[in-house]
Amino acid sequence: MTPEERARVAELFDAVLDHPEAERAEFLAAACAGNELIRAEVLRLLQAEQDRPHKFLNSSSGPAFPTAALEAAFSPVDGSIGPYRLLQRIGSGGMGEVWLADQTEPVHRRVALKLIKAGMDTGDAVTRFQAERQALALMDHPSIAKVFDAGSTSQGRLYFAMEYITGVPITKYCDLHKMTVPERLELFVQVCEGVQHAHQKAIIHRDLKPSNILVSEVDGKPVPRIIDFGIAKAISQALDREGELTRTGAMLGTPSYMSPEQAGSGGADVDTRTDVYSLGAVLYELLVGVRPLELHNLPPDEIRQRLEKMDTPKPSARLRAPDENSSKTAQDRGCDPPASATLSHQLRGDLDAITLKALEKDRSRRYGSPSDLAADIQRYLRNEPVLAVAPSIAYRARKFVRRYRGALLTAFGFAVVLMVAAVVSVRQSIRANREAATTRAVDDFLQHDLLSQASLATQAGSKAKPDPHLEVRTALDRAAERIEGKFAGQPEVEASIRDTMGQTYLDLGLYPEARKQLEQALDLHRRTLGAKNPRTLETMSLLGRVAEFQGKYPEAEGLLTQALAAQRRVLGPEHPDTLSSTTTLANVYSDEGRYPQAEVLLSETLDVQRRMLGPENADTLHSMNNLANVYYYEGKYAQTEALYSQVLEIRRRKLGPDHPDTLASMDNLAVAYWVGGEYAKAEAVGSQLVEIRRSMQGVENPDTLRSMNNLANVYDAEGKYPQAEALYSRVLEIRRSVLSPEHPETIRSMNNLANAYNNVGKYSQAEALASQTLEISRRVLGPERLDTLASMDNLADSYGPQGKYTQAEALFLQMQAIAGRVLSTENPLTLSFLSDFARMYQRQGKYALAESYAAQVLTGRRHALGPGNPDTMASEADLALAYVSQGNFAAAEPLARQTLDFYQKNDPGNWQRFRAETLLGACRAGEKKHTEAESLLREGYEGMLARKDRIAAPDRYYLDRARDWLARVNRSQNHSGNTSAENRSETP
Amino acid sequence: MEPPTGEITRLLAEATRGNREAESQLMTLVYGHLRKLAARQLRRERPDHTLQTTDLVHEAYLRFVPQQEVAWQGRAHFYRVASRLMREILVDYARARQTGKRGAEVEILPVDEVGDAPPRTPSGAGEWDHLIDLDNALKSLGRIEPRQEKVVEMRFFGGLTGDETAEALGVTPRTVRRDWRVARASLYAELSGRSQRVSAMGD
Repeated sequence: MTPEERARVAELFDAVLDHPEAERAEFLAAACAGNELIRAEVLRLLQAEQDRPHKFLNSSSGPAFPTAALEAAFSPVDGSIGPYRLLQRIGSGGMGEVWLADQTEPVHRRVALKLIKAGMDTGDAVTRFQAERQALALMDHPSIAKVFDAGSTSQGRLYFAMEYITGVPITKYCDLHKMTVPERLELFVQVCEGVQHAHQKAIIHRDLKPSNILVSEVDGKPVPRIIDFGIAKAISQALDREGELTRTGAMLGTPSYMSPEQAGSGGADVDTRTDVYSLGAVLYELLVGVRPLELHNLPPDEIRQRLEKMDTPKPSARLRAPDENSSKTAQDRGCDPPASATLSHQLRGDLDAITLKALEKDRSRRYGSPSDLAADIQRYLRNEPVLAVAPSIAYRARKFVRRYRGALLTAFGFAVVLMVAAVVSVRQSIRANREAATTRAVDDFLQHDLLSQASLATQAGSKAKPDPHLEVRTALDRAAERIEGKFAGQPEVEASIRDTMGQTYLDLGLYPEARKQLEQALDLHRRTLGAKNPRTLETMSLLGRVAEFQGKYPEAEGLLTQALAAQRRVLGPEHPDTLSSTTTLANVYSDEGRYPQAEVLLSETLDVQRRMLGPENADTLHSMNNLANVYYYEGKYAQTEALYSQVLEIRRRKLGPDHPDTLASMDNLAVAYWVGGEYAKAEAVGSQLVEIRRSMQGVENPDTLRSMNNLANVYDAEGKYPQAEALYSRVLEIRRSVLSPEHPETIRSMNNLANAYNNVGKYSQAEALASQTLEISRRVLGPERLDTLASMDNLADSYGPQGKYTQAEALFLQMQAIAGRVLSTENPLTLSFLSDFARMYQRQGKYALAESYAAQVLTGRRHALGPGNPDTMASEADLALAYVSQGNFAAAEPLARQTLDFYQKNDPGNWQRFRAETLLGACRAGEKKHTEAESLLREGYEGMLARKDRIAAPDRYYLDRARDWLARVNRSQNHSGNTSAENRSETP
Repeated sequence: MEPPTGEITRLLAEATRGNREAESQLMTLVYGHLRKLAARQLRRERPDHTLQTTDLVHEAYLRFVPQQEVAWQGRAHFYRVASRLMREILVDYARARQTGKRGAEVEILPVDEVGDAPPRTPSGAGEWDHLIDLDNALKSLGRIEPRQEKVVEMRFFGGLTGDETAEALGVTPRTVRRDWRVARASLYAELSGRSQRVSAMGD
């Protein structure tokens, strides 16, 4: 029965009892309305209710027992089991109870007697227990409570006699004593060692949890003792004999600490790594005070489901919301205010990674043994690189800050993230030379000169809300001032600190400040460590990145090439630092327009990352993205869209729909839709993105601006020209003030706006802006750069409609020459220039030239973009028009027909459909089929007129043409005959 | 030897908030109280008298839980724990009896002869066996209708009224009445062996 059916049965049974017996059958028949299953079940219950085979339940006030029986039931305490005299019940759980007992012989000692619930068959169980007991007796380790004996009472209750431990659960002990994270880790390592010992004796615990790890003090020092080792297996074997576990699907063990494979197999398929998982869960709770997954009171199937599917959040992430609980958690770990922030920062990175590695759902990805786990923790405690951390964490931490910068400006979380990133990167870089003194000095500086300020900023944050960005910046600037002269005899410390400060400034987008720190750090590194030291090279590479961000590409290229060559030699081609430099250099190549070189570098990097880090690693994804960007610039749209979709799919799955990286991927996909001509999809994705980014990151954030710009591109492509102009203009305004008036991205915005002016017919404004842009672009970027070409194109496009054909033609010829040198013949930009060229000749009345360019563009676009692309379609119309203008109707007609068919089928409301109609009409008129021509021209002209808003100003030329043709056909019909000459003498 | 009432108040409060460890400590504490109380009560009775176990639960509550300090959720929690314990104690005893009856030597749970106890109470071996059957049937029921199991446990073993049960479970008294009626009939059906295992085994 389904739950719904059972509920219905309950309802009807309840109701039918309130009816007199005589009416019940009738009531039921009516209420069940032909549902026999339900009726039969209610009848069955009614029958049982009338029979009442047992008397117990008749009274609702509970069963009555003879007092003698009750006395027996309540008095097991007087008994003894073998040589054990039961003293006091000290615990109870699902499987039984624990008694404090005295062993009388052969030695007198106090033991904990675990008494398994009554009701088990004794015969085989005892035999199996004897075997188990032999195994348990082999364990001898200070962290493991000894099992002395196991057996069964004559009532068939199984028992274990164990060393009696007075202690409190490890989590509680640590909280009570406000133990710091390192102290907790030290204690935990001892636990791992105990478990390792048992594993070497082939004993798996299977139920490790805080209440099975008791801590007591020996000589004033906490000592953990693990109890119940091997008990779970013994019990489950005994129980399974009875088939209870199998029958009920129940689970032995404690869900929140149980490994997925243990839950999934009912304990059948476990090895020592199940204990590694449980240790991970205990570690998690020791660190953040909550369990990895909350699984209490869930049905077994749901538990299995969650254990297998649900992602385990990073421990540090559990503290991100600074509520009452998390600050209590942090204070229990001896953290100073703002406690939860301090703790979160302590956990982020290494400890997150260690914990999550122990908690991997796939056991082959966990630590292979408790001692491996312990060893990684000890590496952390010694400030050595830990195995669990993917090699490029520092890079990712810095990335993280950059990504979240906007979102975090509004919250004091910013300071936390900033510090975490800073400390992670410092630790990483310092560990490389393992100078404990340096580490301490740097930590000290960060603590006193940076963190303390940040915490002040945090506290003031609630009052002085509006500009935390400034607060943090001020904190950094002050700290930077304090470096001066403070580390006179310690160049290494100073270099490390300047490195950190430089990276932090870089993350904040404060490039000149970043450069200043990094240059000094580089200089210090060179002097103390030498030019080829990995740290020197890392700083050099960072400086290259700063140069890239500042748009100083030749300098960036120089630094990065030099760093990369040395890193390949010193560290090898697969080292994270090498990969990081490779990626940055590829970005520079891409910035410089050297796409094939960028593509080669990125493909190489991607191969290495897929192999070393896995196909879904964050850095691998990052490289996929960069490669897709390069494909995009190269005009390889199919590859672009495929890569972007792959990345987006993985990120949505792994990071969630609102994660900044997921958003970045949406951004990219929107662009891919845009260039693929899928404008509606592009606009939907794009406007959603702009909305999110504006509210999350603010309007001045570079990501927000990029998304806005992309959305404007889509508006432009859709023919929503006024909207496009408004948005472009807003983006430009912000970029000018936030970046600089001559920043490459500002230049791109100027180009976009000039193009938008052209499209709304503001030709003189377009001309002014385009010539200004061209001047800057030539000077700042270089005369043969794509953006420079775009400026030239915009300028030429503004000349044409103003009748300045000479200037336009001169520009076009220059562009053609440059494009021939720097772009392939089928690059969309090249084709777009040539298309503009064709249109200009058309306007000028140079139809043969117009035809030749339009034909060239059409061939290129059909090949590069495919036949159904809007740009391809536009080229068909251009070519058809050139033919019509020369009276070559036979050549024009198939083109016009084909375009018309396409739009009627795919996008009947598009103005280009009506343009195709007028072109076909013009052909009919040329063939003197006046009636047909007239109706086509009229419908086409009116259709275009109704959609005038969607037609870019330069394209309204077609509207004028259509009007002319229509007028002429009307005239021809009036004085019929004598029209062929007119048709042939098309004039602009 | 009165128990430290402050401790039970604290544990009740924490268990009410979902603290499992507190719940487990509470079990131990209440178990001890029940046992002591039973010992004291039972000493005053004659061996052939009968006593309703639910009285023990109520008595334990009144005696060990400081009324003014405990919110009703605490009271509900106490009864939930006590009902479960009462069920465990009785069923455990029944099982031990059963095993002993099979001939094994009685060691820690001396089985009193209670054959002369009045009828209508689980005096004979058969009745104790039925208690085990009832427990098994209740477990089966709980797998598909966990709330019905709770209702039976609290009303039957804990002696709570319908209204009190409703309050403790956070449902309406009407729901409790329906659960109780349906559960009881289901259990009858199961115990009479006439069950087609439709309701108990379910889907």
